[in-house]
Amino acid sequence: MNAALDGVDDPFLEAAGQALRAAGDGPDPLTALGWWDLLPDLGDRDVRAAALALFRAHGRELSSSVALGALLAQPFRASAPAAPGTLVATIASSAPGRGARLLVVGDVRGKVLLIDRPGHGADLVAASDLELRPLAPAGGLAIHEVPVGGVEPDRSARLGVIAEREAAPARVRARFLGRLAVAWEILGAAESALALAVTYAGHREQFGRPIGTFQAVRHLLAWARTDCAALGSVAALATSLDELAPARYDEVVKALAGRNGRRICEQALQVLGAVGFTTEHRHHAYHGRVLALDALLGSSAELTHGLGAWVRETGTDPSVPAATLWSSPDRS
Amino acid sequence: MSHFVSPEDPLRDDQPAYAAAFEGWLAAGPAAFRDAARPIVSSERRAAATRELMRTLFDDGWSRYGWPTPAGGLGGDIMHRAAMWEALARHGLPTMAMFEHLEILAPTLVAMGRPAFVAQVLPTFLRGQECWSQGFSEPDAGSDLASLRTRAVPIDGGHVITGRKIWTSWAGYARWCLVLARTGSVEDRHRGLTAFAVDLRSPGVEVRAIGQANGTDELAEVTFDGVPVGPDRVIGDLGGGWRVAMHILSHERGTFAWFRHCLLQGYLSGALETGSPAGAPEFGSPAGDGALGQAVLDLAAVRAASYAGLRAQAADAPLGVRAPFVKLLLCAAERSLNDWVLESDPTLALGVGDDHAAVAWQEYLFSRIVTVYGGSQQMQLDTIAKQVLRLP
Ligand SMILES: Cc1cc2nc3c(=O)[nH]c(=O)nc-3n(C[C@H](O)[C@H](O)[C@H](O)COP(=O)(O)OP(=O)(O)OC[C@H]3O[C@@H](n4cnc5c(N)ncnc54)[C@H](O)[C@@H]3O)c2cc1C
Repeated sequence: MNAALDGVDDPFLEAAGQALRAAGDGPDPLTALGWWDLLPDLGDRDVRAAALALFRAHGRELSSSVALGALLAQPFRASAPAAPGTLVATIASSAPGRGARLLVVGDVRGKVLLIDRPGHGADLVAASDLELRPLAPAGGLAIHEVPVGGVEPDRSARLGVIAEREAAPARVRARFLGRLAVAWEILGAAESALALAVTYAGHREQFGRPIGTFQAVRHLLAWARTDCAALGSVAALATSLDELAPARYDEVVKALAGRNGRRICEQALQVLGAVGFTTEHRHHAYHGRVLALDALLGSSAELTHGLGAWVRETGTDPSVPAATLWSSPDRS
Repeated sequence: MSHFVSPEDPLRDDQPAYAAAFEGWLAAGPAAFRDAARPIVSSERRAAATRELMRTLFDDGWSRYGWPTPAGGLGGDIMHRAAMWEALARHGLPTMAMFEHLEILAPTLVAMGRPAFVAQVLPTFLRGQECWSQGFSEPDAGSDLASLRTRAVPIDGGHVITGRKIWTSWAGYARWCLVLARTGSVEDRHRGLTAFAVDLRSPGVEVRAIGQANGTDELAEVTFDGVPVGPDRVIGDLGGGWRVAMHILSHERGTFAWFRHCLLQGYLSGALETGSPAGAPEFGSPAGDGALGQAVLDLAAVRAASYAGLRAQAADAPLGVRAPFVKLLLCAAERSLNDWVLESDPTLALGVGDDHAAVAWQEYLFSRIVTVYGGSQQMQLDTIAKQVLRLP
């Protein structure tokens, strides 16, 4: 822990970090933390903040769990007959030329997978009925691809179906929560990369003095810290406002997270020099985690462009309305 | 609307109610607001229209909220001021002009000035009659403010000030200048300074306007030649000028970002209005959507961070290390928004178009220098490296 990391006064963030570090092959850290019990009460500001702090801890610890999929599935729970702690949503991803894919994060053995089909409701499928193919992005994100054949299970294999009428509003809510969670995880990973670089700048000597005494190096790190502060402020405001946030605020948060997260890692890498590009140094893992997370639920490039187009075409003011801020519950 | 200080005032005690009531006042389209909300190229006409708006806001009570009653206000806190300026900007007021110093200097005057003096000057400032300026920088003291050489020599019944200040925004429109002067030795650096409120109408004061590259005349050079100032004009303690300066700069870098970013947000909305016969917005095309998206992100960042700063200020928590972040985020937003404007219409640089275009060009050029005033970008980064990251 060093000066580049803040949030030390956040007890749930600390607790989540401890539980994730202690996990190993032991008990499910989400259960140990009581995380599953938070899900039904996400409407409560403090509960929501605690539930989302897990993701920042995931980023810091470079650990993985099914929490993202569980969070994405939570809004569907009212229409999905699955025992608590078992429902996990898949994440759709697509790239031009590569087509659509379905992904799951974490160890989903024994879970019920929710496969959202925008326009056609959502299906529930037992994970054990699907052949999952592991991917291995840098940064230890435990991610599996659900093979295309598995996307269209025959009707008999489905455990249940959620009608589009119910799925549509749940989908919007799920995307909001999911993007917020990924933004926190990006912050956790990026601020850890920065912390490594700050420590390094204090020790590594060139020209007879620590490189952290050179203004060029100091400014790279200060910019990175500013990008952390910006992301932290926006993510905290979105977490606090929740459903009071304006349209597409989840896209703003996620786009900012991807952009800032990548910039933070790039500045940190520059400060580390060659060693930061090796597998012998942990930087690449944090950096890889940030890049992998940028690819989930809308990349920064795609969301940023989309926001610009929407604002231009509709003349919408995308900012959080002042009246919302003035009456927001966290005003002291 | 009648105003008297009462033990119970719903507008004072309930800031959202104040904001809603002010919204109603604006919706009625008061003439002083309409006149100030137009694009005005001339600085003099801009100043006159803004003064007139301030007179109306004061007389109708709105601008007195957020200031303590002993200083002529109606009580409440910075959240009232934040709400008033946010609404003005959202409805199309393009600038605070000289009244930027209401959010840069006035909080420090109220916190550290002699109460009787503050009660005299704050209402006339709020009402647009007698404005203020900030005399910190000198020809040889820019980023290194603590090296300043303007001297204040003690005499019977006060001090006499001699020296030269430069880049003094709005001095040409101001009655007062808050001058940071040396009462100790140059070797004392920041320990030998005192802040004085100097009447710019005093004999020995000369204000020379400096033309700006964007065509406005905000900047001036102010020379002081043996100008007497009385003891009631000392702000803060004798020898305590650095504390005063830091208090002012924490507002200029911290809370001021809320006020300025509201203007940027309003500017963006105005630029996207579909005013032209073709029904197309004045600015913007699909090719610029990426740049516009970047501006949206930067504006969201400064909004969230400066809102947190407002709340800290309202709760009397120190702005502390927040200020340099907010300042950098404000600069980034101001730049990326104007990057998008120029990308949308490169012909702004040719001087074609109407008053909207002329003001857009002024704003674009100004956005290139925002990383210098109030402590340059490099100084903010230095502060973060040292005080937040604690680098060696
Ligand atoms: C629009 C505008 C309005 C202003 N209004 C006011 C006002 O109302 N009152 C007032 O007192 N002043 C005002 N100023 C002046 C402002 O505070 C100074 O411009 C600022 O402090 C920088 O000083 P300088 O311009 O002399 O630049 P310098 O200090 O000479 O700096 C020049 C460049 O060198 C860099 N630099 C300097 N020192 C270092 C260092 N140690 N490390 C790295 N880089 C360094 C700076 O970052 C900058 O890029 C205003 C300026 C502008 C542009």
